[in-house]
Amino acid sequence: MSGISVNRLEVQLNRLSLKNPILVASGTFGYAKEMQAFVDFSQLGGLIPKTITPTPRIGNKPPRTVETSSGLLNSIGLDNDGLDTFIDKHLHYLLGLGASVIANIAGKTIDDFRMMAERFASIDGVAGLELNISCPNVTGGVDMGTDPKLTEEVVRAVRESCDLPVIAKLTPNVTNVPLIAQGAKEGGADAVSLVNTFQGMAVNWRQRKPILGNGIGGLSGPAIKPLALRIVYQVASKVEIPIIGIGGISSIDDVMEFLVAGASAVQIGTANFYNPGLSSQLVVDLERICEEEDCTNISELVGTLQFPTQK
Amino acid sequence: MSAEASLPGLVPSAQQISAVVVEQETMATNTYRLRLRCPELARQIRPGQFFMVKEPGTNDPLLGRPFALFDIWDENGEPAGIDFGYVAIGKLTHLMTHWSPGDPVQLWGPLGNGFPEPGDGHLMMVAGGIGQTPFLAVAREALGLKTYGRPARPLDVRPSKLTLAYGVRSREFLAGIEQFTMDGLDLQIATDDGTAGHHGFVTQLLQNAIQSETPPDKVFCCGPEPMMEAVQKICLRENVACWLSLESPMACGFGACFSCVVPVRQEDGSWDYKRSCVEGPVFPAERLIFED
Repeated sequence: MSGISVNRLEVQLNRLSLKNPILVASGTFGYAKEMQAFVDFSQLGGLIPKTITPTPRIGNKPPRTVETSSGLLNSIGLDNDGLDTFIDKHLHYLLGLGASVIANIAGKTIDDFRMMAERFASIDGVAGLELNISCPNVTGGVDMGTDPKLTEEVVRAVRESCDLPVIAKLTPNVTNVPLIAQGAKEGGADAVSLVNTFQGMAVNWRQRKPILGNGIGGLSGPAIKPLALRIVYQVASKVEIPIIGIGGISSIDDVMEFLVAGASAVQIGTANFYNPGLSSQLVVDLERICEEEDCTNISELVGTLQFPTQK
Repeated sequence: MSAEASLPGLVPSAQQISAVVVEQETMATNTYRLRLRCPELARQIRPGQFFMVKEPGTNDPLLGRPFALFDIWDENGEPAGIDFGYVAIGKLTHLMTHWSPGDPVQLWGPLGNGFPEPGDGHLMMVAGGIGQTPFLAVAREALGLKTYGRPARPLDVRPSKLTLAYGVRSREFLAGIEQFTMDGLDLQIATDDGTAGHHGFVTQLLQNAIQSETPPDKVFCCGPEPMMEAVQKICLRENVACWLSLESPMACGFGACFSCVVPVRQEDGSWDYKRSCVEGPVFPAERLIFED
């Protein structure tokens, strides 16, 4: 990969420095080991392993995924072995891959988040924390990410517990995402990730049953790209906070659409499942775009969308 | 959950491959065999492993689908590609029936652990429906007719007896009988409606074999879940070593998505969800728990 200038793709999201804006989304990349055959990890701007919870979670009953038109509906249920196992069994491997590792954490309470942030603060090597406050399975009814005040509180609690850069990953399943993003900003988030999955459902009408074992799930993939772009654009217009765009990205053109709409970086999600080598390839493609667009840093293209004005 | 102690089905040398359709034939009613040119995969894949297939250039269908190796084919003495069988049952498989020679196909693999060594006793393969496809390569390897993988695993011993018990609903669904007709393989057929072979379930053929003078020492099984559950019960009761190859639906095939989980018994007696793709898809029968 000679000829790739690191500087040109380097991005700064407040305190979080990334060598390029191509990250891989939590829950779509396992613990990276699963992707070793397909991805040149050292190319990636950031790597976000599967969500970690304070204690092990067995996850939801299968079927856990079902394909819908250009999309994937999932209800995995944060199946993971818990914080201790993550630190003992996965972290060492992850930190040796040459990519910034951002730990994605989820808890039921603000204290859960605080406790996990303290643990990561005591470990060298993690580049930042992404707070999963947008998975409806974990809070037992109250989803922190649907309330600007709770979002602010959880972000602040994490900020006070560690010096790591903090990203809040937000749900699109609210009326006004900019309000939630504003809460994250008030709490001290370095960036917001937009968006987690859209709640959805698939039905087998003959059996009178939902197809997923959990009944309801979250929709991802190319089907949600226009929905995610709209939210990225709206938040970028209304809230001054760096955005990491997520939602159905499967090509370099998709990456560029999110960047010009206002995202400073992006995460590749569902595409990792059906084009596992895509993420590292996109870094190469992005370098080419920089060349074509004659920019000295990719950030020059962020938010350059010219919205039509009414005459 | 996903204790990382061992992932026997994680294949570090798996690759994303652009393959090309070479030929397609109808094997039985609604059942097809596709031949693809993909030397990278053909050189590596072993019996019981699988690969993911995707229609390129479309988001619908979006994901790949897992298929088991039927066999590899050679050209000028070198592995040139793979054959696999499928039943046209879903969105992708219906599209696949229209694939013609020259069409591009996206693949990734090889994936999964594959079957253990056949051993030197009586190996009985029990197949239901399209679950027969993994057993052609198993049989050819066990009989020393072909090697798989580079380097091929050394098989110092050969089974003293090799049987394939193959059950389908009706005669018209019997697929690959021509390929399975080979010296050294005892092919036994069962049909639910009695139109060919034994009238009844394939599990009866397993029962008969267990009561015979040369009972199976090992059973490899692949097919619909109720059949595999029945085979598991028989083998556990009769104390016959048995491995089941699961056909769990998968989104990625390589362990990233955590969709293909199955309940697996742990050493301490508890159970945990394990990813069929990277911990299997071939599991010792005694470890699997079948749910409703």
